[in-house]
Amino acid sequence: MISRVIEWWTVNIPPWVLIALIAHGVVMLTVAYLILLERKVASWVQDRLGPNRVGLGFGIIPIIKNWKMNGLGQPLADGLKFIVKEDYRPAGVDKILFTVAPGLMILVIVVSIAVLPWGGIRQTQRVVTVPAHTQFVTEAVQNQLAQGDQIVGNPVRIGHTDQYQVTYEYPFQIASLNIGVLFILAVLSLSVYGVVIGGWASNNKYSFLGGLRATANMISYEIPLGLAVLCIVVMYGTLDLNLLVEKQCHDWVRFIPAWNVFTQPLAFIMFLICIHAEANRAPFDVAEAEQELVGGYHTEYSAMRFALFFLGEYAGMITTSAVCVALFFGGWDFPGLRGPVGHPALSTSLIICILRAVVFYIKTLIIIFVFMWVRWTLPRFRFDQIMMLAWRALIPVSLALLMMTTVIVYVYHGNSYELLGGSMALTLLIANAVVAALVLIVSTMIPPAPATNRRLTVLGSRFNKTPLPAASPSLSN
Amino acid sequence: MKDSDVIVLEEPKLSRADQFYLPQVLIGLGTTMRHMFNVVVRGQDRVVQYPEEKREDLPVEKGGMLLKTYRGVHRLNKDEEGRVKCVACFMCSTACPARCIHIEAAESPWPDREKYPAKFDIDELRCIYCGMCEEACPVDAIELSHVYDIVGLTRQEMIFDKAKLLNVFDETVKHEPM
Repeated sequence: MISRVIEWWTVNIPPWVLIALIAHGVVMLTVAYLILLERKVASWVQDRLGPNRVGLGFGIIPIIKNWKMNGLGQPLADGLKFIVKEDYRPAGVDKILFTVAPGLMILVIVVSIAVLPWGGIRQTQRVVTVPAHTQFVTEAVQNQLAQGDQIVGNPVRIGHTDQYQVTYEYPFQIASLNIGVLFILAVLSLSVYGVVIGGWASNNKYSFLGGLRATANMISYEIPLGLAVLCIVVMYGTLDLNLLVEKQCHDWVRFIPAWNVFTQPLAFIMFLICIHAEANRAPFDVAEAEQELVGGYHTEYSAMRFALFFLGEYAGMITTSAVCVALFFGGWDFPGLRGPVGHPALSTSLIICILRAVVFYIKTLIIIFVFMWVRWTLPRFRFDQIMMLAWRALIPVSLALLMMTTVIVYVYHGNSYELLGGSMALTLLIANAVVAALVLIVSTMIPPAPATNRRLTVLGSRFNKTPLPAASPSLSN
Repeated sequence: MKDSDVIVLEEPKLSRADQFYLPQVLIGLGTTMRHMFNVVVRGQDRVVQYPEEKREDLPVEKGGMLLKTYRGVHRLNKDEEGRVKCVACFMCSTACPARCIHIEAAESPWPDREKYPAKFDIDELRCIYCGMCEEACPVDAIELSHVYDIVGLTRQEMIFDKAKLLNVFDETVKHEPM
């Protein structure tokens, strides 16, 4: 019975459906537990212990009801609270946009999960029945396979039956787009619309300011983000995330994995800074600065709508971290999980593919931990400091780095894109160091920026030394 | 204050590394990581797990507190015959800065005093636990006990009447003799 169900499933349901279900389920559950992790990290940094009372028994379920499990039940209790709370909508808000905004936020993140390369490419075999006297067997077989499945070699006929043994491969991800990186960048920059629309629809000046700040943040940091990604893309000549990961799956001098973090550390640091700004997280969280803007763009939100904003923020963190892993840490690359030399993404074993997904997930979690670690270390930047960091520091540096990279790629590769050799990697590393040193030297020569936060001599203010004119028409009425 | 008394502090000049910002960020990350390591691996947190651990059970240097000097909920003391000691002189309610003690005096049924409190209500929500009533009492009838974990579901519950205050005495007299 079960084997028949499995057979029916493999024949009728394309593999990406299952991957999509599992990936989204895992990401959404992870978001809930990331909130717990965030609170735990915050506590540890401050010498506390964090939530440690609510176990998975919730004091109701027998046997385990008194287990505390280090607060593992806390996210579920929080979620329940969000559902049960009053969903309050203030008078004077834009009713449609007020509801659409959190949905938009979460939609964007859900879509962007689609192109994450979870586990390379899986090769498998299946028996397909093709009607007798079919002229184009391969096309007929292809029609019976799911979308995205690619036939390897020719289908082999079994004896004199109508059945063919077909070897095919499918990418172990939801959608294998050849513009994966571009897609993620494009979709993630849409997430600011959720913030802006939410802020505007709230009809509240704090929310509105939060939305404005988020926009300025996003616009500024998109540029260095794109340039840092471009540094990687020009090295490999592809935008396909799966291919980018695959090309990192070899070693230099036998033991150093060919991950881009070793060739482009400066690009990695800039990318990390930019995704912090992109996710609107401390030290770039001016959009929801509690001390200045009450709650920022989600001041007026409560209950499930607020939860969606929260979910979107954390899920966005997961996606950007996953992209970071794919671009700089070799994605699912791990000793023992690589396929044959020359095509390391390929695997015939489902278990290997799942293990790759687990490795990818764990690497992502480590980057997310860095996010939290940074949040509880650094104080928030002033708004002009944020803008200065983007426009006066990150954009010129990333441009310089991109120029260096393109020159090196041209010298070594010409027009072909082979695997990155050890000497080229070393050159890139040195180029990174040179750019960093150049930045240090050049920054001494740049004249200091004009003083911000300077006192403005407003007429008649207490900082103004000159006395008020006797009869000023603007002040008399 | 003379001008010579004023000490002018200059802002420390930023070094190259400070201006580049990243080294300082890494130092900060190191500090927080040290704290995380100390809590998670070495278990050096500064938390008192309240209902299981109580501050009065801990040594003072570990965040403990001395109950001897703690001013908690009030109690009305009884004499050897089990009668309320209070003579309804109104000294405590006069001394009370929060005006939370309400006494109704009545003719005493006992020969050794003229008055006794027919009603004695203390609003524990208004009380600021200053201990002035205890200081004012001429017969040591009202005292602040060491009990601090009093709860109530309504405001009415937190207005302690005479019976309740005498009950506090019965419960605390073993640990805290008069």
